[in-house]
Amino acid sequence: MDRTLHRREWLTLAAASTAALIARPAWAVVAAQAETPLQSFTGPGANPFWNSVGPYVTYPQKSPLLRLTDRPIQLETPRAYFRSAITPNEAFYVRYHLPDIPNAIDLKTWRLELTGNFKRPLQFSFDQLLREFRSVDIAAVNQCSGNSRSYFQPRVPGGQWGNGAMGNAMWTGVRLRDVLARAGIDKGTVQIQFEGLDHGPGPEGKGSHRFIKSWDVHEPILDEAIIAYAMNGEPLPMLNGFPVRLVMPGKFATYWTKHLTHIRALTTPDTNFWMYPAYQIPDTPNGSTTPEALKAGKVKLVPIGHVNMPVRSFIIDPDDSAPVVHGLPTVIRGIAFSGMGGIRKVEVSTDGGQTWKAAKLGRDLGRYSFREFGLAWKPELPGLQTLAVRATDTGGHVQPDTGVWNPGGYLWNKIERQQVLVLGA
Amino acid sequence: MQKTLNLLTLTAAAGLALLTLSLPSALAETPRPGLLSAGDYAGGPLGSELQPGRVQPGNGAVYRVGKWPTYTAELAAGPGRDATLGNCSMCHSVTYITQQPPLPAATWEAEVHKMIKAFGAPIQEATAKEIITYLQTHYTPDTRKE
Repeated sequence: MDRTLHRREWLTLAAASTAALIARPAWAVVAAQAETPLQSFTGPGANPFWNSVGPYVTYPQKSPLLRLTDRPIQLETPRAYFRSAITPNEAFYVRYHLPDIPNAIDLKTWRLELTGNFKRPLQFSFDQLLREFRSVDIAAVNQCSGNSRSYFQPRVPGGQWGNGAMGNAMWTGVRLRDVLARAGIDKGTVQIQFEGLDHGPGPEGKGSHRFIKSWDVHEPILDEAIIAYAMNGEPLPMLNGFPVRLVMPGKFATYWTKHLTHIRALTTPDTNFWMYPAYQIPDTPNGSTTPEALKAGKVKLVPIGHVNMPVRSFIIDPDDSAPVVHGLPTVIRGIAFSGMGGIRKVEVSTDGGQTWKAAKLGRDLGRYSFREFGLAWKPELPGLQTLAVRATDTGGHVQPDTGVWNPGGYLWNKIERQQVLVLGA
Repeated sequence: MQKTLNLLTLTAAAGLALLTLSLPSALAETPRPGLLSAGDYAGGPLGSELQPGRVQPGNGAVYRVGKWPTYTAELAAGPGRDATLGNCSMCHSVTYITQQPPLPAATWEAEVHKMIKAFGAPIQEATAKEIITYLQTHYTPDTRKE
C-alpha cells in the first residue's frame, strides 16, 4: 500500500514535469573518470557508437569536445548538446583541412577582398560590413559532408566522424548578393571563388597549401548565402571562422568557408584539388554506389554542391550512457533536419522499427534549422529495447533503412536506432 | 604533491573511521540497501584543466586566442616509425593515422601516394616504401592492435 502511493506520486511528478527531464544532467559529458574508457579505434566493422570514440579535449573558446585530430584541428560535438535545436557556440564541432589556423586576427587591417572579374574590385572592413549592409538572420544547420562516415561498410579513409559533425546556429550577417552587387560581376564571369585565412605548408598549387571552393555564378544558392559575422548572437569562435564565414543554407559545410577573406570572380572554371577530385559524390539518385562499380570505372562523379543535405533525424535521449526504468515514464527526444525543405513529420518506433508513432514537433525555427521532437514513452518490457526514428521533410523525402556507400564517406542518412537498457524495478 | 594529498586523504579516512566506531550502534548500522560502492576517490588531478585568464586591453583591434593545444596519439613501435613520424608530421599530426579504422594494405599504399601526388609531400620513393610497409605492419585489419 505504502509502496503504491509512493510510486503513484513519483509517476505524477515525472509525467507533469518535463522540466525535470530537461534538467537531467548530461551523463555522457561527465565521463572524465570513466571506469572503463572506450576503445581507441573502431573497425573494420561499423562504429557501434553514436559519437566517434576519441577522447575529450579542451580548446580555446570550447567546451570539452571529442578529438578526431589535433593538427589540423577536427573536433566532434558530444551527443548531449543536441538536446536543444540551437547548438551552443562553445560546443559547435570543428573541421579544418589545413593546419595554419588563425590564432590572432587584427580587425584594423583585416579586409574582405573582392578581386578578379568584377567591374569595381573592392575591399570591405569588418566595420563596413556591419554599417553599410542590411543585416539578416537565419537558423541553418552546418553539417560536414563526412558526418557519420564511421558507419560506412566497408569503411572508407577520412575523418572517422560519428554523428556529431553537425550543428545548428542562428547566423547573422549580410547577403552575399548585396556584397557581390557592390563590386558588380562583370561579363564573362563563370564562377565565384571563396577562400579564408586558414592555409597550409604545402607547395603552391596543391591542396595542402590553400583550401578554396567555387560555385557557378548562376547557382541559386548564391542568392541565399550570407556572410555571417555573428553566431547565436555572438562573434564567431575562432575555430568556427572568426571574423566572418559563409553560410550556405541546405548545403554541406565544405562550402561554408571560414575566416572568409577572398571572393574572386573567375573567367574559367576552378580546377583546384578541393573542387576535383575532393568532395565528389556519385551522380546517382542517392549518391550511393559500390566498391565494385567504382573499381570498374563505371561511376560518374560530381561535386557534392550539386545536392542539398538529405533528411536526417537523431535520438538524443535516452542514450546508452544510463538505463531507463521499467514502468517509469520518460521522453524519447531528439532533432531532425533536411537541406531539401523543412521537417514535416518525425516518427518514433519503440519496437526496433516494426511500428511507428508520430512524435510531437518542437518550435519551427525555419526550414534549414534543426527541429526538436519528443514522444512520451513508458517502457513496458525490461531488458534491451530498440528505439528507432525516421523523419519526412516537406518535399516528401523519407529516411531510408539502408546505408549509402561512396568512396568519400558522404551523405549518410540511414534511419537511426538506439538500444536502451530498461531496468526491471 | 600527490603523495601529500593521498596522505591527507588517508588521515581523513582514518579519522572518519574512528568517528564511525565511536557512534551509538543504532546509527552505525544504518542499512544502505543496494549500496555497492561509496567513498571511492581517484588520486591525482584527473580531468582538470586550467581556466583561461582575463582578456587584456592594449592590443588595439586584435582578436587573439591562445596557442592551439596538441593531443597527438602515439604511433606503434617498430621499423619505419621515425620515417612515418618525420614525414607525415610536416603537414599533419600522426593522429590522422591512428584515428582511421584498420584499412586494407592497398588503401594505405594509395593514401601515401595521394599525399605525394595530390598534396605535394616531398617524400622520396624509398622512404615512401618504408612508410607504406610500416603502416601495413601496424594499421590493417589483420595487424592493428591499439
